[in-house]
Amino acid sequence: MSERPTAQELTEAILEFLGGEILPTLTDPRLRFRMLVAMNALGIVYRELAELPVEDDSELRELARRIRADDVPPDALRRVQASVEARLRIASPQFLERYH
Amino acid sequence: MKDAFEAGLSELLGRTVEISVPVLLAGGASKEAWAVDAGGERLLVRRAAVTVMHHHTLTLAQEYAVIEAAFEAGVKVPRPYGYIADLAGREAFVMERLEGDTIGRRIVQKEELATARGRLPVQLAEELAKIHAIPAERLPFLPEARLERMVEELDEVDEPHPAIELGLWWLRENRPPERPAVVNHGDYRIGNVVVDPEGLVGVLDWEFAHLDDPVRDMAFSLVRAWRFGVPEKRLGGIGDVEPFVERYNELTGLDVQPDELDYWELAGNVAWAIGTLTQAQRHLSGRDRSVELAILGRLSAEVEHEICHLLERANA
Repeated sequence: MSERPTAQELTEAILEFLGGEILPTLTDPRLRFRMLVAMNALGIVYRELAELPVEDDSELRELARRIRADDVPPDALRRVQASVEARLRIASPQFLERYH
Repeated sequence: MKDAFEAGLSELLGRTVEISVPVLLAGGASKEAWAVDAGGERLLVRRAAVTVMHHHTLTLAQEYAVIEAAFEAGVKVPRPYGYIADLAGREAFVMERLEGDTIGRRIVQKEELATARGRLPVQLAEELAKIHAIPAERLPFLPEARLERMVEELDEVDEPHPAIELGLWWLRENRPPERPAVVNHGDYRIGNVVVDPEGLVGVLDWEFAHLDDPVRDMAFSLVRAWRFGVPEKRLGGIGDVEPFVERYNELTGLDVQPDELDYWELAGNVAWAIGTLTQAQRHLSGRDRSVELAILGRLSAEVEHEICHLLERANA
């Protein structure tokens, strides 16, 4: 699934936030050191994610294109729901559990 | 910064005023909000931020004109004090700083606001009726919003979101009879109003004002994302829709129907789903780097789930 921001882009946003907004406020040397270590670790995750292959979103693109062209497949809603739920299990599992 | 504020506010108020140290309340990506007291007045200064505004919103000067028109029409809004073309290098406008809660979660859940929640459905209807009565000629710059504009915004994002497409398709196919366009607030919901224990104090955040079907504006406060953890209360997590619609119909002489509200509630969800994606784009494009904007791109899945649910209900 081609989710934006990608996991790598999210990691990058967190790194920028920690380095730009949190690190400068830390006065406790021990906490400062541990924050730098944590950011190093996150940097590893960031670079490792860069190695992942880009996922194929051609099926979703095709479905979106057909709906836009008023050529709505009969099972469109079911397919769309399945893909949204899969995304939610990653992005917001609590939302899915509590939904009623 | 204090000197620039003091000079700007003195000129605006027409007298030399002593001011408190301006406090930056929110460094919004497109607009700053400063709290400052000047000559005994509680003021809020909205000042442009460095970056360019989202291109589908009003300019700061236009937003100020809308607040003025709303104030003249008797809508509960902060008293407008004036527009300043150059406040320390950027444009700004000045309005009254209202006292009360604006945070959605607090308004929906806080114990002390239980009485207010009881009054809000009727009060929200009363203010909306007044907003919709603002003469459109008074604000000639207001754009007309149509479904096509949502499509354009989605295309600018350039990601496949078939759930949103399905929502847009349903909206094209099931359009209710068109009502004459009125001045829409454009973002009328819990989170954009000030509430105190007595009820509604004021309506904020006018940068999405436009001309549109009145029911679109009514239904935006039903969107699930603005129920702040109390989804069973369809009107913004604070109450039922019926007293809201009843009071609105009574004041405007319209006969807004439940199926119209359903239609525009779905439209509101589609608009917000696209909104989350365009907000995330502000981060991804490098215009406003922010982890808060970034994560919205992933939360679009929550709104898309609601779109599917509403479509299921509509087809049942």
